[in-house]
Amino acid sequence: MALFPVQGIIEGDFVVVLVPVDDTDPMTVVAEKIAYHGIGKRVAAQDRPLKVRYRGTLLDDDATIAGTGCAPMDVLEVVHG
Amino acid sequence: MPRLARSEWYDLTRDMNWDLSYVTEEEAFPELLSKSFGVAMQDWWTWDEPYKITYADYVHNQAGKDAGLFSVNNVVGRSKIFENLDPGWMAAVLAHYGAIAVGEYQAGIGEARMARFGRAAAWRNMATYGALDETRHGQLQTYFPYQALDKEPRLDWAHKAYHTNEWGMIAARHLFDDMFTANDAVSMAIQLTFTFETGFTNLQFLGMAADAMKVGDIDFGALISSIQTDEARHAQQGEPTLKILVNAGKKDVAQNLLDRMFWRAWKVFALLTGLSMDYYTPLEHRTHSFKEFMDEFINTQFLNQVKDLGLDAPWYWDQLTNEMNWVHHAYHLGVYFWRPTVWWNPVAGTTPQERAWLEEKYPGWNDSFGKYWDVMGANVRDGHPELTLPETFPVVCNSCQIPLCTPAGYVAGFLSSPEPLMLDLEGRRYTFCSEPCKWVFEQDPGQFKGHLSIIDRFLGGVIQPPTIPGALEYMGLSPEEMGQDGTNYAWAHATAPVAGTV
Repeated sequence: MALFPVQGIIEGDFVVVLVPVDDTDPMTVVAEKIAYHGIGKRVAAQDRPLKVRYRGTLLDDDATIAGTGCAPMDVLEVVHG
Repeated sequence: MPRLARSEWYDLTRDMNWDLSYVTEEEAFPELLSKSFGVAMQDWWTWDEPYKITYADYVHNQAGKDAGLFSVNNVVGRSKIFENLDPGWMAAVLAHYGAIAVGEYQAGIGEARMARFGRAAAWRNMATYGALDETRHGQLQTYFPYQALDKEPRLDWAHKAYHTNEWGMIAARHLFDDMFTANDAVSMAIQLTFTFETGFTNLQFLGMAADAMKVGDIDFGALISSIQTDEARHAQQGEPTLKILVNAGKKDVAQNLLDRMFWRAWKVFALLTGLSMDYYTPLEHRTHSFKEFMDEFINTQFLNQVKDLGLDAPWYWDQLTNEMNWVHHAYHLGVYFWRPTVWWNPVAGTTPQERAWLEEKYPGWNDSFGKYWDVMGANVRDGHPELTLPETFPVVCNSCQIPLCTPAGYVAGFLSSPEPLMLDLEGRRYTFCSEPCKWVFEQDPGQFKGHLSIIDRFLGGVIQPPTIPGALEYMGLSPEEMGQDGTNYAWAHATAPVAGTV
Protein backbone atom coordinates (compact mmCIF):
# COMPACT_ATOMS: atom_id res chain seq x y z
CA MET A 1 0.00 0.00 0.00
CA ALA A 2 1.32 3.39 -0.92
CA LEU A 3 -0.12 6.86 -1.08
CA PHE A 4 -0.64 7.90 -4.65
CA PRO A 5 -1.53 11.51 -5.59
CA VAL A 6 -3.87 12.04 -8.52
CA GLN A 7 -5.50 15.02 -10.19
CA GLY A 8 -9.21 14.55 -9.61
CA ILE A 9 -12.01 16.01 -11.71
CA ILE A 10 -15.60 15.60 -10.54
CA GLU A 11 -18.16 15.66 -13.34
CA GLY A 12 -19.82 19.07 -13.35
CA ASP A 13 -17.25 20.67 -10.99
CA PHE A 14 -15.16 23.74 -11.82
CA VAL A 15 -11.65 22.83 -10.66
CA VAL A 16 -9.02 20.08 -10.63
CA VAL A 17 -8.36 18.87 -7.08
CA LEU A 18 -5.37 17.13 -5.56
CA VAL A 19 -6.46 13.81 -4.06
CA PRO A 20 -4.24 11.27 -2.31
CA VAL A 21 -5.51 7.75 -2.97
CA ASP A 22 -3.94 4.39 -2.25
CA ASP A 23 -2.51 2.30 -5.07
CA THR A 24 -4.49 -0.72 -3.85
CA ASP A 25 -7.80 1.15 -3.69
CA PRO A 26 -10.50 -0.26 -5.98
CA MET A 27 -12.14 2.31 -8.23
CA THR A 28 -15.25 2.45 -6.06
CA VAL A 29 -13.06 3.79 -3.25
CA VAL A 30 -11.06 6.06 -5.56
CA ALA A 31 -14.33 7.55 -6.82
CA GLU A 32 -15.52 8.20 -3.28
CA LYS A 33 -12.22 9.81 -2.27
CA ILE A 34 -12.28 12.20 -5.20
CA ALA A 35 -16.02 12.90 -5.01
CA TYR A 36 -15.70 13.75 -1.30
CA HIS A 37 -14.06 17.05 -2.24
CA GLY A 38 -16.86 18.31 -4.47
CA ILE A 39 -20.12 16.41 -4.43
CA GLY A 40 -22.49 17.91 -1.89
CA LYS A 41 -20.12 20.86 -1.55
CA ARG A 42 -20.18 22.50 -4.98
CA VAL A 43 -21.81 19.84 -7.13
CA ALA A 44 -25.30 18.56 -6.36
CA ALA A 45 -25.43 14.89 -5.38
CA GLN A 46 -27.18 12.49 -7.74
CA ASP A 47 -28.76 9.13 -7.02
CA ARG A 48 -26.51 7.32 -9.45
CA PRO A 49 -23.34 5.28 -8.87
CA LEU A 50 -19.96 6.89 -9.35
CA LYS A 51 -17.49 5.61 -11.91
CA VAL A 52 -13.88 6.54 -12.66
CA ARG A 53 -12.80 7.53 -16.17
CA TYR A 54 -9.13 7.38 -17.13
CA ARG A 55 -7.89 8.52 -20.53
CA GLY A 56 -11.43 8.36 -21.91
CA THR A 57 -12.18 4.85 -20.66
CA LEU A 58 -14.48 3.93 -17.77
CA LEU A 59 -12.60 1.65 -15.37
CA ASP A 60 -14.08 -1.44 -13.76
CA ASP A 61 -15.22 -0.93 -10.19
CA ASP A 62 -12.80 -3.54 -8.88
CA ALA A 63 -9.78 -2.31 -10.84
CA THR A 64 -7.00 -0.80 -8.74
CA ILE A 65 -4.71 2.12 -9.39
CA ALA A 66 -1.74 -0.25 -9.58
CA GLY A 67 -3.53 -2.39 -12.14
CA THR A 68 -4.51 0.43 -14.47
CA GLY A 69 -1.05 1.74 -15.28
CA CYS A 70 -2.01 5.11 -13.86
CA ALA A 71 1.00 7.32 -13.03
CA PRO A 72 1.22 9.77 -10.13
CA MET A 73 -0.60 13.03 -10.92
CA ASP A 74 -2.48 11.50 -13.82
CA VAL A 75 -6.01 12.83 -14.24
CA LEU A 76 -8.88 10.68 -13.00
CA GLU A 77 -12.41 11.87 -13.71
CA VAL A 78 -15.32 10.84 -11.52
CA VAL A 79 -18.58 10.61 -13.44
CA HIS A 80 -22.07 9.41 -12.67
CA GLY A 81 -22.65 5.98 -14.19
CA MET B 1 20.83 84.10 -17.09
CA PRO B 2 18.92 83.73 -20.34
CA ARG B 3 16.13 81.19 -20.28
CA LEU B 4 15.78 79.12 -23.43
CA ALA B 5 12.55 77.46 -24.39
CA ARG B 6 12.65 73.76 -23.53
CA SER B 7 12.41 72.77 -27.18
CA GLU B 8 15.67 74.62 -27.84
CA TRP B 9 17.78 72.50 -25.47
CA TYR B 10 15.85 69.34 -24.69
CA ASP B 11 17.10 67.14 -27.54
CA LEU B 12 20.72 68.17 -26.98
CA THR B 13 20.73 67.48 -23.24
CA ARG B 14 18.89 64.17 -23.32
CA ASP B 15 20.80 62.64 -26.23
CA MET B 16 24.23 62.08 -24.69
CA ASN B 17 25.07 59.11 -26.91
CA TRP B 18 28.63 58.53 -28.03
CA ASP B 19 30.80 55.86 -29.62
CA LEU B 20 32.49 53.68 -27.05
CA SER B 21 36.29 53.46 -27.17
CA TYR B 22 37.52 52.45 -23.71
CA VAL B 23 35.16 49.47 -23.43
CA THR B 24 33.39 47.22 -25.89
CA GLU B 25 29.66 47.37 -26.48
CA GLU B 26 29.28 43.98 -24.79
CA GLU B 27 31.10 45.28 -21.71
CA ALA B 28 28.93 48.39 -21.48
CA PHE B 29 25.67 46.68 -22.43
CA PRO B 30 25.98 42.95 -21.66
CA GLU B 31 23.47 40.86 -23.60
CA LEU B 32 22.33 39.28 -20.35
CA LEU B 33 21.10 42.63 -19.11
CA SER B 34 20.29 44.33 -22.41
CA LYS B 35 19.62 42.11 -25.39
CA SER B 36 20.41 43.89 -28.67
CA PHE B 37 18.59 41.29 -30.78
CA GLY B 38 21.19 42.09 -33.44
CA VAL B 39 20.17 45.75 -33.82
CA ALA B 40 23.20 48.07 -34.23
CA MET B 41 23.95 50.54 -31.44
CA GLN B 42 23.49 53.59 -33.66
CA ASP B 43 20.04 52.36 -34.64
CA TRP B 44 19.00 52.35 -30.98
CA TRP B 45 19.98 56.02 -30.83
CA THR B 46 16.91 56.90 -32.91
CA TRP B 47 14.82 56.02 -29.82
CA ASP B 48 12.37 58.90 -29.33
CA GLU B 49 9.86 59.10 -26.49
CA PRO B 50 6.42 60.49 -27.33
CA TYR B 51 6.07 62.29 -23.98
CA LYS B 52 8.91 64.62 -23.08
CA ILE B 53 9.69 66.02 -19.66
CA THR B 54 12.68 67.65 -17.98
CA TYR B 55 13.97 66.75 -14.54
CA ALA B 56 12.92 70.15 -13.19
CA ASP B 57 9.40 69.67 -14.53
CA TYR B 58 9.32 66.13 -13.17
CA VAL B 59 10.23 67.19 -9.64
CA HIS B 60 7.77 70.07 -9.74
CA ASN B 61 4.95 67.83 -10.93
CA GLN B 62 5.65 65.03 -8.48
CA ALA B 63 5.89 67.40 -5.51
CA GLY B 64 2.50 68.81 -6.45
CA LYS B 65 0.98 65.37 -6.74
CA ASP B 66 2.30 64.30 -3.35
CA ALA B 67 1.12 67.50 -1.67
CA GLY B 68 -2.42 66.89 -2.89
CA LEU B 69 -2.37 63.20 -2.11
CA PHE B 70 -1.07 63.49 1.44
CA SER B 71 -3.63 66.22 2.17
CA VAL B 72 -6.41 63.79 1.26
CA ASN B 73 -4.75 61.00 3.28
CA ASN B 74 -4.46 63.26 6.30
CA VAL B 75 -8.11 64.28 6.23
CA VAL B 76 -9.45 60.79 5.50
CA GLY B 77 -7.31 59.34 8.31
CA ARG B 78 -9.28 61.42 10.81
CA SER B 79 -12.65 60.42 9.39
CA LYS B 80 -14.79 57.27 9.59
CA ILE B 81 -14.67 56.71 5.84
CA PHE B 82 -12.52 53.59 6.09
CA GLU B 83 -14.70 51.92 8.73
CA ASN B 84 -17.79 52.41 6.58
CA LEU B 85 -16.44 50.92 3.37
CA ASP B 86 -18.44 48.14 1.75
CA PRO B 87 -17.00 44.69 2.66
CA GLY B 88 -16.62 43.80 -1.00
CA TRP B 89 -14.64 46.93 -1.70
CA MET B 90 -12.53 46.26 1.40
CA ALA B 91 -11.70 42.83 -0.06
CA ALA B 92 -10.63 44.47 -3.33
CA VAL B 93 -8.44 47.01 -1.53
CA LEU B 94 -6.72 44.42 0.70
CA ALA B 95 -6.08 42.15 -2.28
CA HIS B 96 -4.71 45.08 -4.28
CA TYR B 97 -2.27 46.29 -1.65
CA GLY B 98 -0.83 42.84 -1.02
CA ALA B 99 -0.48 41.94 -4.67
CA ILE B 100 0.85 45.27 -5.89
CA ALA B 101 2.71 47.37 -3.29
CA VAL B 102 6.06 45.56 -3.08
CA GLY B 103 5.74 44.64 -6.75
CA GLU B 104 6.05 48.36 -7.41
CA TYR B 105 9.44 48.33 -5.71
CA GLN B 106 10.40 45.43 -7.93
CA ALA B 107 9.25 47.42 -10.95
CA GLY B 108 11.61 50.15 -9.69
CA ILE B 109 14.46 47.63 -10.00
CA GLY B 110 13.33 46.99 -13.57
CA GLU B 111 13.16 50.68 -14.42
CA ALA B 112 16.60 51.19 -12.88
CA ARG B 113 17.92 48.39 -15.11
CA MET B 114 16.56 50.24 -18.14
CA ALA B 115 17.99 53.50 -16.76
CA ARG B 116 21.45 51.90 -16.89
CA PHE B 117 21.19 49.36 -19.69
CA GLY B 118 18.67 50.98 -22.03
CA ARG B 119 20.40 51.25 -25.39
CA ALA B 120 19.80 54.98 -25.95
CA ALA B 121 20.42 58.00 -23.73
CA ALA B 122 16.89 59.34 -24.27
CA TRP B 123 15.51 56.02 -23.08
CA ARG B 124 17.80 55.93 -20.04
CA ASN B 125 16.58 59.43 -19.22
CA MET B 126 12.93 58.34 -19.30
CA ALA B 127 13.67 55.17 -17.34
CA THR B 128 15.29 57.24 -14.59
CA TYR B 129 11.95 58.96 -14.08
CA GLY B 130 10.33 55.55 -14.23
CA ALA B 131 12.57 54.26 -11.43
CA LEU B 132 11.64 57.27 -9.31
CA ASP B 133 7.96 56.72 -10.17
CA GLU B 134 7.95 53.09 -9.12
CA THR B 135 9.83 53.83 -5.91
CA ARG B 136 7.16 56.42 -5.17
CA HIS B 137 4.39 53.90 -5.89
CA GLY B 138 5.95 51.32 -3.62
CA GLN B 139 6.29 53.85 -0.82
CA LEU B 140 2.77 55.24 -1.21
CA GLN B 141 1.14 51.84 -1.35
CA THR B 142 2.89 50.68 1.80
CA TYR B 143 2.46 53.99 3.65
CA PHE B 144 -1.28 54.41 3.01
CA PRO B 145 -2.22 50.96 4.35
CA TYR B 146 0.26 51.44 7.22
CA GLN B 147 -1.73 54.52 8.25
CA ALA B 148 -4.86 52.38 8.65
CA LEU B 149 -3.35 49.39 10.46
CA ASP B 150 -5.29 50.20 13.62
CA LYS B 151 -8.50 49.78 11.62
CA GLU B 152 -7.55 46.62 9.67
CA PRO B 153 -4.38 44.80 10.86
CA ARG B 154 -4.23 42.71 7.67
CA LEU B 155 -3.30 45.84 5.76
CA ASP B 156 0.24 44.84 6.80
CA TRP B 157 0.01 42.35 3.93
CA ALA B 158 0.82 45.34 1.73
CA HIS B 159 4.37 44.72 2.91
CA LYS B 160 4.13 41.13 4.12
CA ALA B 161 2.55 39.41 1.12
CA TYR B 162 5.61 39.42 -1.13
CA HIS B 163 7.69 37.88 1.61
CA THR B 164 5.39 34.88 2.04
CA ASN B 165 4.70 31.70 0.11
CA GLU B 166 0.98 32.42 -0.09
CA TRP B 167 -0.13 30.81 -3.37
CA GLY B 168 -1.33 34.01 -5.07
CA MET B 169 1.94 35.70 -4.22
CA ILE B 170 3.89 32.81 -5.69
CA ALA B 171 1.87 33.46 -8.87
CA ALA B 172 2.58 37.21 -8.71
CA ARG B 173 6.32 36.72 -8.08
CA HIS B 174 6.56 34.14 -10.86
CA LEU B 175 5.04 36.65 -13.27
CA PHE B 176 6.89 39.76 -12.13
CA ASP B 177 10.28 38.05 -11.88
CA ASP B 178 9.83 36.97 -15.50
CA MET B 179 8.57 40.40 -16.55
CA PHE B 180 11.12 42.64 -14.84
CA THR B 181 13.20 41.42 -11.90
CA ALA B 182 14.95 38.78 -14.02
CA ASN B 183 14.46 40.41 -17.42
CA ASP B 184 16.82 42.35 -19.69
CA ALA B 185 16.25 46.03 -20.49
CA VAL B 186 15.05 45.65 -24.08
CA SER B 187 12.67 42.76 -23.42
CA MET B 188 11.40 44.61 -20.38
CA ALA B 189 10.50 47.70 -22.39
CA ILE B 190 8.24 45.51 -24.53
CA GLN B 191 6.94 43.26 -21.77
CA LEU B 192 6.61 45.59 -18.77
CA THR B 193 5.98 49.04 -20.18
CA PHE B 194 4.17 48.18 -23.42
CA THR B 195 2.43 44.85 -22.78
CA PHE B 196 1.63 45.12 -19.07
CA GLU B 197 1.42 48.83 -18.35
CA THR B 198 0.02 50.13 -21.62
CA GLY B 199 -2.11 47.06 -22.18
CA PHE B 200 -3.43 46.41 -18.70
CA THR B 201 -2.52 48.46 -15.65
CA ASN B 202 -2.73 51.96 -17.05
CA LEU B 203 -6.36 51.44 -18.03
CA GLN B 204 -7.13 49.38 -14.97
CA PHE B 205 -5.86 52.10 -12.65
CA LEU B 206 -8.07 54.65 -14.41
CA GLY B 207 -11.13 52.46 -13.90
CA MET B 208 -10.24 51.53 -10.33
CA ALA B 209 -9.70 55.17 -9.34
CA ALA B 210 -13.14 56.06 -10.72
CA ASP B 211 -14.75 53.10 -8.91
CA ALA B 212 -13.04 54.06 -5.64
CA MET B 213 -14.49 57.57 -5.82
CA LYS B 214 -17.97 56.16 -6.49
CA VAL B 215 -17.88 53.86 -3.46
CA GLY B 216 -16.62 56.74 -1.29
CA ASP B 217 -13.03 55.54 -0.87
CA ILE B 218 -11.55 58.97 -1.53
CA ASP B 219 -8.15 58.00 -0.12
CA PHE B 220 -7.66 55.00 -2.39
CA GLY B 221 -9.15 56.83 -5.37
CA ALA B 222 -6.73 59.73 -5.00
CA LEU B 223 -3.82 57.32 -4.54
CA ILE B 224 -4.57 55.24 -7.60
CA SER B 225 -5.31 58.28 -9.71
CA SER B 226 -1.98 59.85 -8.76
CA ILE B 227 -0.10 56.65 -9.57
CA GLN B 228 -1.86 56.35 -12.92
CA THR B 229 -0.52 59.71 -14.07
CA ASP B 230 3.02 58.37 -13.60
CA GLU B 231 2.18 55.10 -15.33
CA ALA B 232 0.77 56.90 -18.35
CA ARG B 233 4.14 58.62 -18.82
CA HIS B 234 6.67 55.88 -18.20
CA ALA B 235 4.58 53.22 -19.98
CA GLN B 236 5.52 55.03 -23.19
CA GLN B 237 9.01 53.54 -23.18
CA GLY B 238 7.66 50.47 -24.87
CA GLU B 239 6.44 51.98 -28.11
CA PRO B 240 9.73 53.53 -29.34
CA THR B 241 11.61 50.35 -28.36
CA LEU B 242 9.12 48.28 -30.30
CA LYS B 243 9.38 50.56 -33.34
CA ILE B 244 13.15 50.13 -33.46
CA LEU B 245 12.86 46.35 -33.40
CA VAL B 246 10.19 46.32 -36.11
CA ASN B 247 12.07 48.80 -38.31
CA ALA B 248 15.20 46.65 -37.99
CA GLY B 249 13.29 43.65 -39.34
CA LYS B 250 12.87 42.06 -35.92
CA LYS B 251 9.10 41.90 -35.90
CA ASP B 252 9.21 38.21 -34.96
CA VAL B 253 11.25 39.07 -31.84
CA ALA B 254 8.85 41.81 -30.78
CA GLN B 255 5.83 39.65 -31.50
CA ASN B 256 7.19 36.78 -29.41
CA LEU B 257 7.96 39.07 -26.47
CA LEU B 258 4.47 40.53 -26.66
CA ASP B 259 2.70 37.18 -27.03
CA ARG B 260 4.53 35.59 -24.11
CA MET B 261 3.88 38.38 -21.65
CA PHE B 262 0.38 39.35 -22.76
CA TRP B 263 -0.96 35.90 -21.87
CA ARG B 264 0.91 35.82 -18.58
CA ALA B 265 -0.40 39.27 -17.64
CA TRP B 266 -3.93 38.27 -18.64
CA LYS B 267 -4.02 35.39 -16.17
CA VAL B 268 -3.09 37.47 -13.13
CA PHE B 269 -5.24 40.36 -14.37
CA ALA B 270 -8.26 38.03 -14.55
CA LEU B 271 -7.53 36.82 -11.03
CA LEU B 272 -7.18 40.25 -9.46
CA THR B 273 -9.30 42.59 -11.57
CA GLY B 274 -11.90 40.09 -12.73
CA LEU B 275 -12.95 39.39 -9.15
CA SER B 276 -12.78 43.03 -8.16
CA MET B 277 -14.97 44.27 -11.03
CA ASP B 278 -17.61 41.55 -11.19
CA TYR B 279 -17.92 40.45 -7.56
CA TYR B 280 -16.24 42.81 -5.07
CA THR B 281 -17.31 46.24 -6.35
CA PRO B 282 -20.77 47.01 -4.88
CA LEU B 283 -23.47 46.36 -7.46
CA GLU B 284 -24.79 49.91 -7.48
CA HIS B 285 -21.36 51.27 -8.35
CA ARG B 286 -20.47 48.96 -11.23
CA THR B 287 -20.20 50.61 -14.61
CA HIS B 288 -18.62 47.92 -16.79
CA SER B 289 -18.52 44.19 -16.41
CA PHE B 290 -15.00 42.77 -16.57
CA LYS B 291 -15.76 41.36 -19.99
CA GLU B 292 -17.05 44.71 -21.26
CA PHE B 293 -13.91 46.36 -19.92
CA MET B 294 -11.72 43.83 -21.69
CA ASP B 295 -13.69 44.19 -24.92
CA GLU B 296 -13.46 47.97 -25.00
CA PHE B 297 -10.04 48.76 -23.63
CA ILE B 298 -7.91 45.70 -24.31
CA ASN B 299 -9.49 43.89 -27.24
CA THR B 300 -10.27 47.04 -29.17
CA GLN B 301 -8.05 49.94 -28.10
CA PHE B 302 -4.89 48.04 -27.18
CA LEU B 303 -5.22 45.63 -30.07
CA ASN B 304 -5.54 48.58 -32.48
CA GLN B 305 -2.36 50.02 -31.00
CA VAL B 306 -0.59 46.68 -31.48
CA LYS B 307 -1.64 46.60 -35.13
CA ASP B 308 -0.72 50.25 -35.70
CA LEU B 309 2.81 49.38 -34.59
CA GLY B 310 3.06 46.67 -37.24
CA LEU B 311 2.43 43.67 -35.00
CA ASP B 312 -0.39 41.13 -35.08
CA ALA B 313 -2.84 39.99 -32.46
CA PRO B 314 -1.22 37.21 -30.39
CA TRP B 315 -1.78 33.78 -31.94
CA TYR B 316 -4.06 32.71 -29.08
CA TRP B 317 -6.48 35.63 -29.44
CA ASP B 318 -9.49 33.34 -29.87
CA GLN B 319 -8.56 31.53 -26.67
CA LEU B 320 -8.24 34.83 -24.84
CA THR B 321 -11.68 36.06 -25.90
CA ASN B 322 -13.04 32.62 -25.00
CA GLU B 323 -11.58 32.77 -21.47
CA MET B 324 -13.03 36.25 -20.92
CA ASN B 325 -16.45 34.59 -20.68
CA TRP B 326 -15.69 32.21 -17.87
CA VAL B 327 -12.24 32.05 -16.33
CA HIS B 328 -12.60 34.81 -13.73
CA HIS B 329 -15.93 33.36 -12.58
CA ALA B 330 -14.07 30.13 -11.87
CA TYR B 331 -11.23 31.99 -10.13
CA HIS B 332 -13.78 33.75 -7.93
CA LEU B 333 -15.34 30.45 -6.93
CA GLY B 334 -11.90 29.10 -6.12
CA VAL B 335 -10.83 32.10 -4.07
CA TYR B 336 -14.12 32.01 -2.17
CA PHE B 337 -14.03 28.26 -1.48
CA TRP B 338 -10.34 28.33 -0.55
CA ARG B 339 -10.73 31.63 1.34
CA PRO B 340 -8.51 30.55 4.28
CA THR B 341 -5.62 30.74 1.79
CA VAL B 342 -6.00 34.48 1.13
CA TRP B 343 -5.46 37.49 3.40
CA TRP B 344 -8.72 39.26 2.65
CA ASN B 345 -12.36 38.35 3.32
CA PRO B 346 -13.87 37.37 -0.04
CA VAL B 347 -17.50 38.29 -0.50
CA ALA B 348 -19.61 35.86 -2.49
CA GLY B 349 -21.25 38.61 -4.54
CA THR B 350 -24.12 36.29 -5.38
CA THR B 351 -27.26 37.76 -3.85
CA PRO B 352 -30.30 37.39 -6.11
CA GLN B 353 -29.76 40.95 -7.41
CA GLU B 354 -26.08 40.31 -8.09
CA ARG B 355 -26.90 37.04 -9.81
CA ALA B 356 -29.39 38.85 -12.04
CA TRP B 357 -26.62 41.29 -13.02
CA LEU B 358 -24.19 38.44 -13.72
CA GLU B 359 -26.80 36.67 -15.86
CA GLU B 360 -27.41 39.86 -17.82
CA LYS B 361 -23.70 40.47 -18.42
CA TYR B 362 -22.81 36.80 -18.96
CA PRO B 363 -25.86 35.04 -20.41
CA GLY B 364 -25.97 31.49 -19.10
CA TRP B 365 -24.12 32.34 -15.86
CA ASN B 366 -26.86 30.86 -13.66
CA ASP B 367 -26.75 27.54 -15.50
CA SER B 368 -22.97 27.29 -15.60
CA PHE B 369 -21.78 29.01 -12.41
CA GLY B 370 -24.92 29.75 -10.39
CA LYS B 371 -25.44 26.07 -9.70
CA TYR B 372 -22.26 25.88 -7.57
CA TRP B 373 -23.50 28.78 -5.49
CA ASP B 374 -26.91 27.05 -5.19
CA VAL B 375 -25.25 24.05 -3.52
CA MET B 376 -23.06 26.20 -1.28
CA GLY B 377 -25.99 28.45 -0.31
CA ALA B 378 -28.12 25.44 0.59
CA ASN B 379 -25.33 24.10 2.80
CA VAL B 380 -25.13 27.42 4.63
CA ARG B 381 -28.90 27.57 5.14
CA ASP B 382 -28.88 23.97 6.38
CA GLY B 383 -26.42 24.94 9.07
CA HIS B 384 -23.34 23.45 7.44
CA PRO B 385 -21.07 26.34 6.46
CA GLU B 386 -18.10 24.00 6.99
CA LEU B 387 -19.10 22.33 3.71
CA THR B 388 -18.15 25.57 1.94
CA LEU B 389 -14.56 25.17 3.11
CA PRO B 390 -11.76 23.06 1.60
CA GLU B 391 -10.20 19.82 2.79
CA THR B 392 -7.68 19.53 -0.02
CA PHE B 393 -6.01 21.86 -2.51
CA PRO B 394 -6.65 22.59 -6.14
CA VAL B 395 -3.85 21.62 -8.51
CA VAL B 396 -2.15 24.71 -9.94
CA CYS B 397 -0.74 25.46 -13.39
CA ASN B 398 3.05 25.18 -13.68
CA SER B 399 3.09 28.32 -15.80
CA CYS B 400 0.67 30.88 -14.31
CA GLN B 401 0.61 29.16 -10.86
CA ILE B 402 -3.16 29.67 -10.65
CA PRO B 403 -5.52 26.74 -9.91
CA LEU B 404 -6.55 24.63 -12.89
CA CYS B 405 -10.11 25.59 -13.74
CA THR B 406 -10.41 23.78 -17.07
CA PRO B 407 -13.46 21.83 -15.81
CA ALA B 408 -15.36 25.13 -15.44
CA GLY B 409 -14.61 26.07 -19.04
CA TYR B 410 -15.84 22.66 -20.13
CA VAL B 411 -19.04 22.83 -18.07
CA ALA B 412 -19.77 26.34 -19.38
CA GLY B 413 -19.38 25.10 -22.96
CA PHE B 414 -16.17 26.96 -23.83
CA LEU B 415 -13.67 24.07 -23.78
CA SER B 416 -13.86 20.68 -25.47
CA SER B 417 -12.36 18.81 -22.49
CA PRO B 418 -12.23 19.37 -18.72
CA GLU B 419 -8.69 17.98 -18.54
CA PRO B 420 -5.58 20.14 -18.12
CA LEU B 421 -2.58 19.82 -20.44
CA MET B 422 0.52 17.89 -19.39
CA LEU B 423 4.20 17.87 -20.22
CA ASP B 424 6.66 15.23 -19.02
CA LEU B 425 10.15 16.70 -19.13
CA GLU B 426 13.37 15.20 -17.78
CA GLY B 427 11.49 12.92 -15.41
CA ARG B 428 9.19 15.57 -14.05
CA ARG B 429 5.51 16.14 -14.78
CA TYR B 430 4.25 19.65 -15.48
CA THR B 431 0.55 20.53 -15.70
CA PHE B 432 -0.95 23.53 -17.51
CA CYS B 433 -4.31 25.26 -17.48
CA SER B 434 -4.28 26.23 -21.14
CA GLU B 435 -2.47 25.87 -24.44
CA PRO B 436 -0.90 29.37 -24.19
CA CYS B 437 0.39 28.67 -20.65
CA LYS B 438 2.04 25.48 -21.93
CA TRP B 439 3.41 27.42 -24.92
CA VAL B 440 4.90 30.09 -22.64
CA PHE B 441 6.70 27.36 -20.66
CA GLU B 442 7.97 25.69 -23.82
CA GLN B 443 9.38 28.95 -25.16
CA ASP B 444 12.08 28.81 -22.49
CA PRO B 445 11.96 25.61 -20.41
CA GLY B 446 15.30 26.42 -18.82
CA GLN B 447 13.78 29.54 -17.30
CA PHE B 448 10.83 27.73 -15.73
CA LYS B 449 11.52 24.03 -15.26
CA GLY B 450 13.22 24.33 -11.88
CA HIS B 451 10.39 26.25 -10.25
CA LEU B 452 8.23 24.36 -7.76
CA SER B 453 4.55 25.24 -7.65
CA ILE B 454 2.78 25.25 -4.30
CA ILE B 455 1.50 21.74 -5.13
CA ASP B 456 4.98 20.52 -6.12
CA ARG B 457 6.19 21.76 -2.73
CA PHE B 458 3.30 20.03 -0.98
CA LEU B 459 4.01 16.71 -2.68
CA GLY B 460 7.78 17.07 -2.49
CA GLY B 461 7.93 17.38 1.28
CA VAL B 462 8.85 21.07 1.34
CA ILE B 463 5.64 21.84 3.24
CA GLN B 464 5.60 20.19 6.67
CA PRO B 465 3.41 18.78 7.94
CA PRO B 466 1.77 18.02 4.56
CA THR B 467 -1.68 18.93 5.78
CA ILE B 468 -4.06 21.84 5.27
CA PRO B 469 -2.96 23.54 8.52
CA GLY B 470 0.68 22.89 7.62
CA ALA B 471 0.21 24.45 4.20
CA LEU B 472 -1.59 27.48 5.62
CA GLU B 473 1.27 28.03 8.03
CA TYR B 474 3.73 27.66 5.15
CA MET B 475 1.78 30.39 3.33
CA GLY B 476 2.27 32.72 6.30
CA LEU B 477 -1.38 32.75 7.30
CA SER B 478 -2.27 32.70 10.99
CA PRO B 479 -5.90 31.95 11.92
CA GLU B 480 -6.51 35.67 12.46
CA GLU B 481 -5.24 36.49 8.96
CA MET B 482 -7.07 33.80 6.99
CA GLY B 483 -9.93 34.96 4.84
CA GLN B 484 -13.50 34.46 6.01
CA ASP B 485 -16.81 35.07 4.30
CA GLY B 486 -16.90 38.85 3.87
CA THR B 487 -20.58 39.24 4.75
CA ASN B 488 -20.92 36.39 7.26
CA TYR B 489 -22.96 34.43 4.69
CA ALA B 490 -25.60 37.14 4.24
CA TRP B 491 -25.65 36.30 0.51
CA ALA B 492 -26.97 32.81 1.21
CA HIS B 493 -29.95 34.17 3.13
CA ALA B 494 -30.72 37.13 0.87
CA THR B 495 -34.03 37.03 -0.93
CA ALA B 496 -34.98 38.57 -4.23
CA PRO B 497 -37.14 41.71 -4.04
CA VAL B 498 -40.82 41.15 -4.67
CA ALA B 499 -41.71 42.19 -8.20
CA GLY B 500 -43.00 45.76 -8.36
CA THR B 501 -41.45 46.89 -5.06
CA VAL B 502 -38.21 48.20 -6.53
